[in-house]
Amino acid sequence: MGQGDYSYTFPHRGLIAASALNRVDLELIFDSARAHLARNRREDKKHPSLKGLTVINLFFEASTRTLASFEIAAKRLGADVVNFSAGNASLKKGETLADTAYTLAAMQPDLLVVRHHSPGAAGFFQSTTGVSTINAGDGANEHPTQALLDLFTLGEHLGDVGGKRIAIIGDILHSRVARSNVALLSLMNADIRLCGPASLLPADADRWGASVFHSVEAAIEGCDAVMVLRLQRERMSAGLIPSAREYAAIYGLDHTRLSLANEGCIVMHPGPMNRGIEITSALADDKSISVILDQVEAGVAVRMAVLELLAGRGMQEMVP
Amino acid sequence: MNGGIFITGARLIDPATGRETQGDLRVERGVIDAIGPGLSPDADDQIIEADGAVLSPALIDIGARASEPGRSGIENLDTTIRAAAAAGVGTLVLSSSSGAGLTRPEDIDWISFRALQAPIRLLGAARTHTPIGEMAEIGLMLRAGAPLISDGGELIADTRFLRNLLSYASAFDAWVGLTPEDASLSAGTIAHESAMAIRLGLSARPGISERLGVERLAALAELTGARIIAERLTTAGGLEALSTARKRGLELAASTPLAHLVFNEVDMGGLDPAYRLEPPLRSEADRQALLAGIADGRIDIIVSDHTPVALEAKANPYPDTAPGSASLEALIPVLCTLDADGQLPLMASLKALTSNPAELLGLPQGRLTEGAPADLVLFDPQSPNVYGKDGLESPAPSAFAGRRLQGRVLMTVADGAIVFARPGVAE
Repeated sequence: MGQGDYSYTFPHRGLIAASALNRVDLELIFDSARAHLARNRREDKKHPSLKGLTVINLFFEASTRTLASFEIAAKRLGADVVNFSAGNASLKKGETLADTAYTLAAMQPDLLVVRHHSPGAAGFFQSTTGVSTINAGDGANEHPTQALLDLFTLGEHLGDVGGKRIAIIGDILHSRVARSNVALLSLMNADIRLCGPASLLPADADRWGASVFHSVEAAIEGCDAVMVLRLQRERMSAGLIPSAREYAAIYGLDHTRLSLANEGCIVMHPGPMNRGIEITSALADDKSISVILDQVEAGVAVRMAVLELLAGRGMQEMVP
Repeated sequence: MNGGIFITGARLIDPATGRETQGDLRVERGVIDAIGPGLSPDADDQIIEADGAVLSPALIDIGARASEPGRSGIENLDTTIRAAAAAGVGTLVLSSSSGAGLTRPEDIDWISFRALQAPIRLLGAARTHTPIGEMAEIGLMLRAGAPLISDGGELIADTRFLRNLLSYASAFDAWVGLTPEDASLSAGTIAHESAMAIRLGLSARPGISERLGVERLAALAELTGARIIAERLTTAGGLEALSTARKRGLELAASTPLAHLVFNEVDMGGLDPAYRLEPPLRSEADRQALLAGIADGRIDIIVSDHTPVALEAKANPYPDTAPGSASLEALIPVLCTLDADGQLPLMASLKALTSNPAELLGLPQGRLTEGAPADLVLFDPQSPNVYGKDGLESPAPSAFAGRRLQGRVLMTVADGAIVFARPGVAE
């Protein structure tokens, strides 16, 4: 199936916000991702649709897994990939972000993948340079490819996500993953629940199109999937919550709490996990429930699909 | 003893309903079995002749400090408990600043463990913050049985931290007791700002410090949805600010220390270290406002604010002494004296020490009704005495020492058992 079969052209120049996508966009991305997922399991993974293009991964915030996922995705598509990350001296020389953007744009890249601690940074790069940009996380604002891979994984396990009850548990206030997920899950008409300590929930969370819970037990009841968020250590020292011990006891996910969910409920985590804090090791490693590694695998496929679509080279010869 | 307790000829006061009658009351198996005139005792009941003494629900004190855990002082916890039983207290909620502070669930477990041996009900308030200023494990402490959260008199100056704390606590539906003061206006002060304090050369805080404190707490209650007790409210301005905020529908309550209902800054004028209290003694107008606030219910709770301070800590000039007074055993005598002087009706003051705290914390005690837990205090409201003359359970210095008061506890019943009785009362 080629892009022409949709009588719809992927209209986005970049991927800055999950909230900018519509349901047809998602279908395009997921159909392609499904094909990449299958190919990624073969010995010969190369599919050089981005041959000749240059992708710059620009990570102002430390990352291992997301950077690796984008790098692998671009390389499997045959692109030339250059990584700049937080450790690089070039990102610390005190120039304005605009100058960094102009400089990189002058090197004629075709796609930028940007992670930055400030909300709006990825959009800033795109509007400054005119180069197609993928937001790989801008502060607590958005992380659209994470939400895409989460939704893709949900679909693989649950089928149609519409009407399914999905709880997101943890530090919603500081989570770009939660914001992007809420955007996509609302689009799919899922029954979204947000749960966490009140000091880690946005004051207006009830207006996000989700129901808000302070009790994990209440939030999990009748769920088809539970997304557990990572608890950053800084939240304790910032006086937002008391201790890891109390968090684990009151908000941590384990088999007992999960038994309140629907039969077949799956558990997700964007990683990296704090085992024994937001999720028990036993649950994280329970292959019948935890789909955490499926998420990681889907991440590469979904990012390949997004890169192709943004490069205007999507849906050519999907599965040979 | 297999039988119950039969108290006959008492003046029965039930502050929860405002009802006052003459009659008898029978206790069996830990609950109030029957109330009314003309009851007859069972054959093996222990009979107490009340002779017109007042019988009310035992007191519930949610603001007494002990020297333990983690420290030793002039009192140990057993002394504090004995003093409470002798004071007519059936439920003692230790302040979160007891000893080294009740900051961890282990501390609340320790209280529960000590409570197993205590004749009265012993609970501990969960401290809001740890010694290094981090949020304490309040969720785990509430689960361990703490009935409320409190700063224990240690003002939280950092408003952003306080906002997070209140927001976090709101999910647990618990009351948070906080000190209503402005941090910088009150820092380092030892007196209420007035012509007198200035003349005496004392560093003093203006009354508006408390008003600003109350207004700050009210604004945070509005933002976070938390339920806040302004603890140890002592000024007319603070009370007015509280009443105004309550009219906006906020869940706010207030407690007032016993000493501030009796003393004013003039008592402190001789610079006797016994009157060094925190908050400091206020003006007579403030004291009058507090009495009116309790009488009309704008102040919910009276606390003993019992603070055992070592003798040597009071052995210095007023400004250099530790604040605090052993006040538990002054509770009933002070209530009786204020009633006899026409300053505050007993019904209202008892309400602030029984049914109000019970209702606030969701405790079944504090009511004189059939089926309620048999927590009772029998007291003679008339007998004159000089406070401390006949000996007290608490050896710590008291602001009330040597005061002429009237009224004394005759007997305390907790959970259906007599836990204190004056000689000749229950023999």
